Amino acid sequence: MDFSIDAATAHRLAAFDRLGREQMRPLGLEADRLGRPTPPDHPYFQTLIGMGFGRTRWRPSRGERSRGEESSDKVGNSRATLLLSEQLSYWDRGVAVSAPGPGLGEGAIISMGTEDQKQRYLTPFINPDKPRWGAFAMTEPAAGSDVAGIQTRAIRDGNDWVLIGNKSFSGNSSRADFILVWATVDPSLGRAGHRAFLVEHGMPGLQDFHIERKMGLKAYESTSFRLEECRVPGANLLGGEAHYEKRAGFKGAMDTFNSTRPMVAAMAVGIGRSALDEAIAFARAEGMTDDPRIRDRLERAARKLRAARLLSLKAAWLADHRQPNIVEASMSKALAPTAAFEAASLGMELLGLAGARGDHLIEKLFRDVKAMDIVEGTGQIQRVVMARKLVDLPQS
Amino acid sequence: MFDMSLGEDLSLIQDQVRHFSTRVLHERHREFEERHEVPESVVAEFAALGLAGLELPETLGGAGLGALAKVLVLEELGAGDPGAALALDGLGAALYPLAELGGPAAIETYAVPLLDKPAARALLVWGDSERPGGNRKPLCGAHTCDGTIPWVPAQHADRVVVLDREGAAVLDSGFRFTPLKGSGLRAAGAAQLDFIDAPIRERWQDREGAARALARWQLHTAALMVGLMRTAAETSREYAMQRVAFGKPIAHHQALAFLIADMRSAVDATRILVQEAAWRADRGLPFTGAAATAFVEAVEASMFVTPNALQIFGGQGFMQDLPLEKYMREARTLGLLAGGVDLARDIAGTEVTTSSDGFALSPILAEES
Ligand SMILES: Cc1cc2nc3c(=O)[nH]c(=O)nc-3n(C[C@H](O)[C@H](O)[C@H](O)COP(=O)(O)OP(=O)(O)OC[C@H]3O[C@@H](n4cnc5c(N)ncnc54)[C@H](O)[C@@H]3O)c2cc1C
Repeated sequence: MDFSIDAATAHRLAAFDRLGREQMRPLGLEADRLGRPTPPDHPYFQTLIGMGFGRTRWRPSRGERSRGEESSDKVGNSRATLLLSEQLSYWDRGVAVSAPGPGLGEGAIISMGTEDQKQRYLTPFINPDKPRWGAFAMTEPAAGSDVAGIQTRAIRDGNDWVLIGNKSFSGNSSRADFILVWATVDPSLGRAGHRAFLVEHGMPGLQDFHIERKMGLKAYESTSFRLEECRVPGANLLGGEAHYEKRAGFKGAMDTFNSTRPMVAAMAVGIGRSALDEAIAFARAEGMTDDPRIRDRLERAARKLRAARLLSLKAAWLADHRQPNIVEASMSKALAPTAAFEAASLGMELLGLAGARGDHLIEKLFRDVKAMDIVEGTGQIQRVVMARKLVDLPQS
Repeated sequence: MFDMSLGEDLSLIQDQVRHFSTRVLHERHREFEERHEVPESVVAEFAALGLAGLELPETLGGAGLGALAKVLVLEELGAGDPGAALALDGLGAALYPLAELGGPAAIETYAVPLLDKPAARALLVWGDSERPGGNRKPLCGAHTCDGTIPWVPAQHADRVVVLDREGAAVLDSGFRFTPLKGSGLRAAGAAQLDFIDAPIRERWQDREGAARALARWQLHTAALMVGLMRTAAETSREYAMQRVAFGKPIAHHQALAFLIADMRSAVDATRILVQEAAWRADRGLPFTGAAATAFVEAVEASMFVTPNALQIFGGQGFMQDLPLEKYMREARTLGLLAGGVDLARDIAGTEVTTSSDGFALSPILAEES
C-alpha cells in the first residue's frame, strides 16, 4: 500500500496552485460578483491553451488496434487526474469547469465513437489553435436522475436524423463546437431506445440557448436549449447503427467501473478543503480555536473530507486497475459533497453575521458546493446504485 | 503513487487470520463471552499462526512488520471477536509505550519474555483520569501508582503499563484485579483494577513518545472496530435481503437500502483512515493526528453501524440468540479505550487548527525524494 503522491504529480499540483491563486480564484469571484459566466473570448482561456489545457486525451490510432480497445494491461492514472481536478476545484470549481476541452462527452466518444467521428470531433482538441469546447446534454426538463425517461425524439429521415426536444443545464453548450445530445428513438424502450448524436454548433434547429442563472458556480455556463427539428447527418450518430444493434444503449459501458464519479467527488473535496482552510484561518485570526466546541467541529469537517478524499482515490485506483468499482465510486460521490457542504456551512457559522453580508469567499463556496450533490448523479442516486450492488435493489 | 494493493505477504497473512477468525473466533464468541476467557486450546491455535511478534523488530525475534500489517490482522480478528482478539494478543497495545518510550532495550526486557509464555498478558491502561470539565489526576507519580481504573478488559496481567500524557510507567506488582461482569469484550475478561502504592519498575518521561504510543493504541483499537463494524454491516445486509415485509425484501424498501449503503460507506471510510494513518507510522511520518482522526471516526461510525445493524433485525436483534446486541455493546466499550474519544478529538482538532500549511490537512504526502 502506498498513500503518497509521486513527484511528477506533486510538481504539477504545485504549478496549478500558482494558476489557481493568481487567475482562477479572482476570475471566480469576478464571475460571482457580475453574475455571468466568463465570456469565451476572455484571455484566460487563451492562457490555458498556452499552458497545454483544453486538450483531448485521445490520440489517432496508428496500426491495427480497433476502436474502443485499449491495452488492458496498462495501468491507468486517473488518480493523478483526480488529484489535479481536486486542486483546481480548490481554487474555483466554476472556473475549472469553464475550461476549454472536449467536455463530459469525451469518454463516450472515445469508447463508442467510430474512427471517423473521433477524427472529426477530437482531432481539433489534440493541439487546439484556440479555446474550443465540447458539451454533453442528457438532462431534460422532465428527466434527470431517471435517464431512461428522456423525451427528446430522434426520428430517422432518409440518411439523416431529426431531433426534437429540450435539454437542460448543459455545461458550456452555447459556446461548444459540438454537443453530445442523447435522444430516444422510442420512449417506451427506455435505455434501449437511446441514441447519442454529435450535434454541431450552427446546425439548423439547435436553438434558443438560455444561460441559466445559478446560485453558485457562476463562472461557467449551464445552458438549456431546444432542438427544433434539428437535422443531423446519419454519420453523426455516435458509434453508428451497428453499435446500437450490438449493445442495448450505453448501459454496458457504465456497468463495471466508473471514473467520473470519483472525479466529481474529488472536486467536492477541493471545494470543501477551500472552505475549511478559510474557516480555520478565520477562527485563528479571531482566537476561536481554543474553544473545544469550535475545534471539534473543525476536526469533524477535516475528518470527513479526509475520508472522502481517500475513498475517491481508492475508487480511482480500482478503475486504473480495471477492477469493479461501482460501489466505491458511488460511495465517494455520496460522501464528498456532504462533507464539503458541512465544511462550508461550518465556515458560515464561524463567520457569524459577517457570513450573511454576501461578500466572503466562504459564502460563495457555500453556494457553489450544493451543486456537487446534484450533478453526476444525486446523493440519492449514488445510494440507489450502491444498493443495486449490495442488496440487488431492483431497477425500479 | 497512491496504491491500495496489499502485496503477497500481507494478503497471505490477511487470509490466514481471516480463516482462523471466521472458523474459530466467530463460531465460539458466545462461549468465550460466557467464560470471560478464551480457552487454552484456542490460545495455542492462535499462537501457532506466529503473529505474536508481528511488530517486533527482527533483531528481537519479531517479524519486523509494521502498523499496516497489524491493523490488517486486527481488523480480521475484530471481525471474529474483538474481545478474543484482546485476550489472544498477549502483548497487545502495551508494546507501544515500551517501543516508543523505552526503545529496543525496554522491548527486550519487558516484552520479549512474555512472548514465550502462551497465556501471559501485558495490559495497557490510560493513566490520566482527566475528564472534560473535571480535575486532572494522574494515576502515577514518580515512584508509585495509586488509584482505580473502573474497568479493564482483562482478569489478570503479568505486567501493567500505564500511559499518560507525560510518559509511561511499567509495573509488575502492587495492582489487584477484582472481577466484574463487564459490558462488552468479556472474552478478554473484565475487572476493576486497583493500584495500591504500586511500585514503578521503570518510568519514562517523554511527551512526544507518549503521544505516539497513544496514537498506536488508538489505531489498534480502531482496527478492531473496523472488523466488528464490518461483520455487523454484512450480517444485517444479508438478513435484509432475506426478510420480507410489505411484499418485498426489507432491503428493497429505500429507507433500508440507503441505510445499508451508508453503513457500508461508514465501514470503508473508517478502514481507509486507519490504513492511511498506519502507513504514515510505517513511513516515519507524523501520524498522531491521523491516528486520532481514525479513532474518532471509528467510534462515531461504529455507533452508527452497530445499532442500525441491530435495528435491521427488529425485535430479534435485541435478543441474545443473535450476535447483534453483542456487536453494539462491544463497539461501545471499544470506543472507551485508548483514553476515549474526546481525547482523540482534542489531538486531531489541535492538529487541524494549528498546522501552518493549508495543504497539511492532506492525508497525502508528496514522495520525499
Ligand atoms: C450546476 C449543474 C450543472 C449541470 N450540468 C449538466 C450537464 O452538463 N449536462 C447534463 O446533461 N446535465 C447537467 N446537469 C443536470 C443534472 O445532471 C441533473 O440535475 C441531475 O441528474 C438531477 O436530475 P433532475 O434535476 O432532473 O432531478 P430529479 O431527477 O427530478 O430528482 C429530484 C429529486 O428526487 C431524487 N430522486 C430521483 N430519483 C430518485 C430515486 N429513485 N430514489 C430516491 N430519490 C430520487 C433526486 O435525488 C432529487 O433529490 C447539471 C445540473 C447542475 C445543477
